[in-house]
Amino acid sequence: MSTVTATAAPTKLWGGGKSPFDVEYGKLMMWYFLMSDAFTFGAFLISYGTIRFSSNGWPNPNEVFKSFPFAPEGVHAPLVFVSIMTFILIISSVTMVLAVLAGKQMDKKAVVRNLILTIIGGIAFLSCQAWEWNHLHSEGAWWGANPFLNADGTQSSTNFTNYFFTITGFHGFHVFSGVVINIIMLIMTLMDKFEKRGHYLMIEKAGLYWHFVDLVWVFVFTCFYLI
Amino acid sequence: MSHSAQALHHDDGSAVKEIWKVTAILSVLTIIELILGFWMMGIESESFRLAIKGSIVILMIAKAFYIVGYFMHLKHELKNLIMTIVVPLALFIWFITAFLYEGNSYKNLRNRYDPYKKAQTEIKVHKNEEVKEGKPSAE
Amino acid sequence: MSSEVALDFHSGVSSLHDTHHSHDEHHHHETFISKYVFSMDHKMIAKQFLITGMFWAVLGGFMSVLFRLQLGYPDSTFPWLEDILGKWAKGGHITPEAYYALVTTHGTVLVFFVLTAGLSGTFANFLIPLQVGARDMASPFMNMLSFWFFFTAGIVMLSSIFVETGPFSGGWTAYPPLSALGDASPGSKTGMDLWIVSMALFVVSSLLGGLNYIATVLNMRTKGMSMTRLPLTIWALFFTAVLGVLSFPVLFSGFILLIFDRNFGTSFYLSDIFVNGAGALPNEGGSAILYQHLFWFLGHPEVYIILLPAMGMVSEILSTNARKPIFGYMAMIGSMFAIAILAFLVWAHHMFVTGLNPFLGSIFVLLTLLIAVPSAIKVFNWLTTLWRGNIRFTPAMLFAIGFVSLFISGGLTGIWLGNSALDIHLHDTYFVIAHFHIVMGVASMFGMFAGIYHWFPKMYGRFLNNTLGYVHFWITIAGAYLIFWPMHYEGLAGMPRRYYDYSIWESFKQFSDLNRFISTVAMIVFATQILFLANFFYSIFKGRKLRTANPWGSNTLEWTTPIKPGHGNWPGEIPEVYRWAYDYGKDGTDFISQTTPVGADESVH
Repeated sequence: MSTVTATAAPTKLWGGGKSPFDVEYGKLMMWYFLMSDAFTFGAFLISYGTIRFSSNGWPNPNEVFKSFPFAPEGVHAPLVFVSIMTFILIISSVTMVLAVLAGKQMDKKAVVRNLILTIIGGIAFLSCQAWEWNHLHSEGAWWGANPFLNADGTQSSTNFTNYFFTITGFHGFHVFSGVVINIIMLIMTLMDKFEKRGHYLMIEKAGLYWHFVDLVWVFVFTCFYLI
Repeated sequence: MSHSAQALHHDDGSAVKEIWKVTAILSVLTIIELILGFWMMGIESESFRLAIKGSIVILMIAKAFYIVGYFMHLKHELKNLIMTIVVPLALFIWFITAFLYEGNSYKNLRNRYDPYKKAQTEIKVHKNEEVKEGKPSAE
Repeated sequence: MSSEVALDFHSGVSSLHDTHHSHDEHHHHETFISKYVFSMDHKMIAKQFLITGMFWAVLGGFMSVLFRLQLGYPDSTFPWLEDILGKWAKGGHITPEAYYALVTTHGTVLVFFVLTAGLSGTFANFLIPLQVGARDMASPFMNMLSFWFFFTAGIVMLSSIFVETGPFSGGWTAYPPLSALGDASPGSKTGMDLWIVSMALFVVSSLLGGLNYIATVLNMRTKGMSMTRLPLTIWALFFTAVLGVLSFPVLFSGFILLIFDRNFGTSFYLSDIFVNGAGALPNEGGSAILYQHLFWFLGHPEVYIILLPAMGMVSEILSTNARKPIFGYMAMIGSMFAIAILAFLVWAHHMFVTGLNPFLGSIFVLLTLLIAVPSAIKVFNWLTTLWRGNIRFTPAMLFAIGFVSLFISGGLTGIWLGNSALDIHLHDTYFVIAHFHIVMGVASMFGMFAGIYHWFPKMYGRFLNNTLGYVHFWITIAGAYLIFWPMHYEGLAGMPRRYYDYSIWESFKQFSDLNRFISTVAMIVFATQILFLANFFYSIFKGRKLRTANPWGSNTLEWTTPIKPGHGNWPGEIPEVYRWAYDYGKDGTDFISQTTPVGADESVH
């Protein structure tokens, strides 16, 4: 194996016989898959924007997402719960990046610890989402049913809830698959698969996916809860 | 193409430092977003609200930059890889512009040529009875 | 890395290429299943794609013969139709429902299964590893999955033909509300469910394939094979894969929203709808136009997904058989790049008459007409490649020249249709049918035929029968023009597409003879394709055997492999590349393979 370093002359990078990016193909594919997935989410969010732009009114998110678990009925706490969800995801992203770093240092113990933290973060996020869905459902919101009025007090179409459940659901599905991937990574780490292989590149690819999930949430969070 | 090529070019201590720095930046950006969001609730002026929404979107893109650049490590990859990933995303510019412009135009079209529909969307509903019904009416 | 790109398909995606395998004695145990069914050899997967694509081409083509019967002979009855179609052709006359189902399935099958999977699936799989100098795809396992997802998509689509209410019948674009409401038509019921499942599987298949093609072209080129030494086929297939990876997910999102509209009471695409018998629907606030935007965001890149592989193969075949370097190699790459970008910016030109904002429309006109620039560059480059060439008229070469001819005649009408003002008159007429069948349908089929005739010797170690090839070419090119040229006149006269029976319209009665003529030619052309298939399958087993490894005197790497390459393509080391792929007739030498080092006294190109 020709040990190529990133310091190789740039003219030689494209000369063939090696990756022009110094990246093995699996990671490259993961990047391009994520780009493709970005178009999936992009199309969802853009459709949401299109329908919102073509509607005369739209519900005010602060009136809709104002509840908090275990808080007394009628409490008005907009943005609080979703902020917690956002921070959970950011922190789980941090632990993931620490796991990737530990993998590069071949530090199995740190990989295991950080992966476990990431998985816990993912499960916590999913639980929060489950609570929120359940709560909205109990208020009468679901696909095809929207109990909320527009900000100006007029009747709202069902598309607010339609899009909310579809897009957060699709994102939640990604979080779920990310958790599953991370659990598999954890098991493989515990079984010393990567130690034997001599590298933790799989963790890096799983990490890319996990950060992408976090990235999508940045957009979903902004589009649905903030603006 | 061995994995050693992807090794960090800075020592591990500074890598950890960078992670926490980015975490702090992301948290601060999120908190600013939330403050803007809370602030926006009390504001009546439509154009002012729009300006705040615009700044929230800019903050969102800044957050995306930090996640992709540092957490996903793209900033430390070779420039060619960065370009092949960032350049196609430029397609989103026209994707978003055309779709939103078209959505807005569709609204205007309907409002102009379907006055009945427009009048329907201007009727205020009493909130309480609606919530009790639990299901929106067809109109 | 060249020799280290090992065939480590046992470790899956995660494997690194630095795991050492000795592929020289790579004789692992191969059963029938692992060799012909769940094969991970890119050449076998390519053949699987090709033959599955042929099955669909025959089916889709036969469907067009059936509905051309209705259009050409609206008053006649054909009792044999009832024998094959049953209640869909009571009394030997195709029912309106069956007619629409046939039109829809013909479109879906030809666009996606034949010209996307059958064309780029076959040739990307076959040519990318062989021409970039790799032992296989980056991930042979994902490659295999890609085929089997496609195969399953096909099974689901096929089963939709046999359900009680028939296959989907709302047009291949599946616009709502016909696709979103089960009550809209018989085909909108189970048929549509199966259609959408099939298409979702197809999207997965093309993503798996596309990611693989991109990673292989970028990462696995052999030593010396820089990007600007790649044959144009590879460039074309690379851009095709990029288009697919970026545009299919948008279609996928659109389909997910459609599934919710169909099954879960949402109204993403529905508003103000009144169904006969069911009354006004509660769905409010959606926009059927939104679906069209999402669909065409894929749909337009899709036509280049179909066309680019044909363009790439034609460039290669023209240059090889004209014994001249391709004219304007860099301009060819640049124009393909421009086409790939523009493909994403022009989708709404399919929607000028939907009520699209006219100002937005004018921008789409501008962007659409810009495509003429790279297209013209390509056409002139092909023509100048032929000019003063020492042309060998092999069947592949004839089909390649036919492609250029069709691309010119079909492309020119695109300039008409790209104008939003002209489109008011021409939209949804036979003019559109003529345009896209010539420029995308038949032209890409020609590219595919050219590719099959040219690379058949590499695939099976035998030649196709030349005489049958010439017969096939001349009937097909004459037939293509005879079928589609008159449709321009029908379209200019305002004859709308997708009508069941034109004889009852005073304005279109005059075309009944013309329609009958078109139908007759369509049947002859279809029969000729059967002749080609006979040639294909006969030649696999009984064709003239290849005696030399490089029958066309070609420069590219695939001809440096043995006549029947095994899994791994090259028995020894992968050859190193020293030059571009188009050194034909240089310094008085007929051809110089890419593997020949540059001589000291060679002229610089």
